[in-house]
Amino acid sequence: MSFEPRIVGFLCNWCSYTGADLAGTARIKYAPNIRSIRVMCSGRVDPVFVIKAFSEGADGVLIAGCHPGDCHYQEGNYKALRRYLLLKRILPEYGIEPERLKLEWIAASEGERFAHVVNGFTEQVRRLGPMNCKGALIESMKDDVLIHEEHAAQGTGERR
Amino acid sequence: MKLNIAIYWGAACGGCDVAILDTHEKLLEIADVVDIHLWPIAMDFKYADVRALADGYLDATLFSGAVRNSENEEIAKLLRKKSKAMIALGACAHTGGVPGLANMYTRGEILDRVYLRSESTNNPEGTLPAEEFMVDAGELQLPRFYNTVKTLDQVVDVDYYIPGCPPASLQIYSALGLLADDMLPKKGSVIGAGDRALCDECARKKSEKTITKIYRTHEKLPDPETCFLEQGFICLGPATRSGCGSRCIKSWTPCRGCYGPLDGVQDQGIKMLGALASVLEPKDEKGINAILDTVVDPLRTVSRFSLASSMLRRKKV
Amino acid sequence: MKRIAIDPITRLEGHGKITIFLNEEGTVENAYLQIPELRGFEKFVEGLPVEEIPRVVTRICGV
Repeated sequence: MSFEPRIVGFLCNWCSYTGADLAGTARIKYAPNIRSIRVMCSGRVDPVFVIKAFSEGADGVLIAGCHPGDCHYQEGNYKALRRYLLLKRILPEYGIEPERLKLEWIAASEGERFAHVVNGFTEQVRRLGPMNCKGALIESMKDDVLIHEEHAAQGTGERR
Repeated sequence: MKLNIAIYWGAACGGCDVAILDTHEKLLEIADVVDIHLWPIAMDFKYADVRALADGYLDATLFSGAVRNSENEEIAKLLRKKSKAMIALGACAHTGGVPGLANMYTRGEILDRVYLRSESTNNPEGTLPAEEFMVDAGELQLPRFYNTVKTLDQVVDVDYYIPGCPPASLQIYSALGLLADDMLPKKGSVIGAGDRALCDECARKKSEKTITKIYRTHEKLPDPETCFLEQGFICLGPATRSGCGSRCIKSWTPCRGCYGPLDGVQDQGIKMLGALASVLEPKDEKGINAILDTVVDPLRTVSRFSLASSMLRRKKV
Repeated sequence: MKRIAIDPITRLEGHGKITIFLNEEGTVENAYLQIPELRGFEKFVEGLPVEEIPRVVTRICGV
């Protein structure tokens, strides 16, 4: 069976989610791999959301917000950019390819571009292969088992 | 009637035990209300003595240290069975602590570095610790060194947490008071600590200032009255529970988060990343990266004491 | 051969166990001290900022 990446998309309410809507109403086809989550602003995307998505089985995470200067809340997307760049540096330390995380600016009018970004990112993640964080964690602990239980019992347990 | 308690350490440094002793004359008050049945650092009880106790005989176990090997896990499970309340004492048992940093590596990488490549070790035959070792008279055993460091609550059910590296002595005293007076809060609570961020307790002046440069502690003398983060020193205050009495801050040293996350926070280190990103001034990729280039080892800075309890728990292998 | 296990050894910082083998006359034939503890500071301080090392290695022993 071919690998279908699971991608979590955090889309800002004012631009990118509306852009995704436009792609839908305009009948533009795009990869069905993305699971969209609407957030009020890309600045609402706590790095914890991203790590949680990865730890729960996402193969890639897309954050999409308004173009610089266009944020409905003035500066939320700049905050998203700073968090994104910091996360990019943390992911390799956790053994996760930074290319599994992407930030894009997608306006409400850019339905075509939304489809293009989702398709491109899906292919990028497909090339990286499955991530399987949970499975890797379980695998890392498979030999962490109790051995020699009651090891003290074989002696007399006497003091001194 | 006195409380029956056990005090034990897994992968620990003994600092939590010393923090109990550091209650000074209050130790006499503690001794008045508890009978101790295991405390390796200070008293001569054996594992066999604990095995001989009836299940649930102990009112509480104070368990410090992370679960690093099979002996730690075995004794944690033994004490869990013997105790009505299991209390994680200190950062290692609570969030993994400094020993949890080993989750950046595998078991093999650590054994290799320690026994085969350590500059001060002469081991030409490349001997590694053996779990079973035959001598003339019989077999000797060592516990299994685990690949992944675990927090106490990742191996047994934990009732309460007393955070800190080490926990402040007076906080241990007050937590034991709750136990003695049967006033413990609901199961799963953090006791002997505050419920707000360290920043709320910190006396340094805070404004809404953003920063354009991150300093390492040797690069600049900090201003004595201003928030460390606003001066460009990475300080984990915003992501850390209060209750330590700002020990490090008062010693002119930024916080590294030993008191763990606030209630409801799943990952202290990653939460801190969010806070750190918020205080940076630049709005363009180039400017942001110029600052981030100066941060050495961001993960082990923000997750110094919490890597083993972080959402991803370890470096993926 | 009689075997005595002192597990754990107490009133010191760190983990240890001693196994003693006695012969038929009841005198000590052999005694072994084992340290069932390793945390791996040697490895996980690698790559840390040097000014952070004192804050980490103080956790080797807190006594």
